[in-house]
Amino acid sequence: MIEVENLVKKYGSHAAVDGLSFTVDKGKVVGFLGPNGAGKSTTMNMLTGYIAPTEGRILIDGIDMVEKPEKAKKHIGYLPEIPPLYPDMRVREYLQFVAELKKVPRNDRAEKVNLIMKKTKVDDMSERLIRYLSKGYKQRVGLAAAMMGEPDILILDEPTVGLDPNQIIEMRELIRELSKNHTILLSSHIMQEISAVCDEIIIINNGKMIAKDTPDNLINMIKGTSAIHMVVKGDEDIIKETVENMPDIEKISYDSESEENTLGMTLYSSEDNDIRETLFYAFADKSCPILELHRSDNSLEDVFLALTKDGDNQYIKDDKESEDKEYEEQKDEKQEEDKDNKKIEEEEDLTDVSDI
Amino acid sequence: MLAIYKKELKQYFNSMIGFVFLAFFIAIVGFYTWGYNLAGGIGNFEMTLGSISFLFVLLIPILTMRIIAEENHQKTDQLLFTAPVSPARIVLGKYFSVMTLFSIGVAFISLYPLLISAYGKDVRLAPAYSSIMGFYLLGAAYIAIGTFISSLTESQIIAAVLSFVTMLLSNLLSSVASMLPSDKLAQCIMIAIVWLVICMVAYHMMENATVLIAMSVIGEAAIWIVYFVKSSLYKGLFSNILKCFAISERFNDFSMGVLNYDAVVYYVSIAFLFVFLTIQVVKKKRFN
Repeated sequence: MIEVENLVKKYGSHAAVDGLSFTVDKGKVVGFLGPNGAGKSTTMNMLTGYIAPTEGRILIDGIDMVEKPEKAKKHIGYLPEIPPLYPDMRVREYLQFVAELKKVPRNDRAEKVNLIMKKTKVDDMSERLIRYLSKGYKQRVGLAAAMMGEPDILILDEPTVGLDPNQIIEMRELIRELSKNHTILLSSHIMQEISAVCDEIIIINNGKMIAKDTPDNLINMIKGTSAIHMVVKGDEDIIKETVENMPDIEKISYDSESEENTLGMTLYSSEDNDIRETLFYAFADKSCPILELHRSDNSLEDVFLALTKDGDNQYIKDDKESEDKEYEEQKDEKQEEDKDNKKIEEEEDLTDVSDI
Repeated sequence: MLAIYKKELKQYFNSMIGFVFLAFFIAIVGFYTWGYNLAGGIGNFEMTLGSISFLFVLLIPILTMRIIAEENHQKTDQLLFTAPVSPARIVLGKYFSVMTLFSIGVAFISLYPLLISAYGKDVRLAPAYSSIMGFYLLGAAYIAIGTFISSLTESQIIAAVLSFVTMLLSNLLSSVASMLPSDKLAQCIMIAIVWLVICMVAYHMMENATVLIAMSVIGEAAIWIVYFVKSSLYKGLFSNILKCFAISERFNDFSMGVLNYDAVVYYVSIAFLFVFLTIQVVKKKRFN
């Protein structure tokens, strides 16, 4: 489990990471999404103890990274953007060195190295010099090194960058496999990758967190509406009348072209309102058959672009916070009113007494 | 620490640097031994060592240039410094690996006095071995300096050149110091100039103009006030300060067969100081 509180990293006056707070729960796969230069790698370097934060706290399984780095680092396996490999070592030799570095007991080392090489499918290259390996294999050797020492948290910085499509799929499968018994934080600027493997997504831009949610919720978040595309057979006027009289629909856009005697349209409603059933019965009453009905999803790409384009303006959490603040202010006002009332009552009491 | 130590040692012999160093070291010392002791007929091995202490200026930079700079360059420092090992242990592991390689070379040349004594009757082994000890400590101090310089940069070449220049300067320093004018005013001016240079370096590191001005004004004022109050303090002061940095100068006693405890303490302190500084540089990098 990773807990991060108000993480700040400043280079001179420029803040690469600016007040980041989040938690990654045990057993979750969390994606770290953001454009290049958003502060993903800097954050990961801080989480793994490679660089120290300017401000803030990092707890790894409850251990403070700044105060007890050696203890905390034991829980983390890190695959940096450029896998930290020695080109003049052989794969097995390298992994044995990493095992020793990470204090794997002497008797287990050979066995662990073999096991991890099998898991990451580099065992057929075990005697090859690392300098002659392909990018995909290098990445996997790096991952093998990260897995060494059985850390329960894996932090992977752009694990699929520079790989060919087949290798990307393989890497993704490997990550999914690993997610069964690891907590994983991985970064990427590629959407499909994140939506394919992650339970949760953290979007950051300019060192600030913009959103943290599940992929599905994020997609809904972009507009707060769900869209349904529908094709209905029947008279155009009747169809239009039926749809326009329905209460829950916020917006309708008719397709410009559709088949003869049919009408296609996209209906927008608020996200918590499923109108598909109502639609069905409404058109059944008018005996107009629905030929097609499907939800059209907003892609994560749209979410990402919408959220990162204007940077800070779209800070969703902020909105929530400001709502909370308003609520609290209202509370305060109420309390003050209460106090005022009490005072008045007391004064009245006093006057009562003086009256007597 | 042991993991890093073993890895470094292995890499020295994988990359040929280890063999090349040993071959070169043993061959040069061997050649001088042959020239002075065997062909020249002198039984004092300490004299031989005294005349080849310049060897370090060439050989140590080759040994130490990659030791930390290469990790920085390959980004493998990310592996080392995210592993559950403290920076101090990493640096020590590396330092001891270079020392081990160097020790192998010194172990070889420790046989030479025995070889010489096999051919002569008046060969005194005690001064020979005390000079080998001095030679070893001098090497240890230079290796610490080289390691320190290697930690400052990402480029092996820059590390090598910087180490080479530093060691060359420290070699020349004693003769330079004795050539400088020794009167009070000249010495005071030189100290004032050096202080300005130090201020500029500090400014370059901190980029803070107020600190620069404060440092230079206060420093210069202090230097000149002391000069006008008690100018006798400055007699030979700058030359003496320079001589403190003349590392190889301390080896002269050893090469005359004198076991100088001052020099032993001096070399061990230099080695400690620079290993300590290396650890600090490595630690500080995390806070940049």
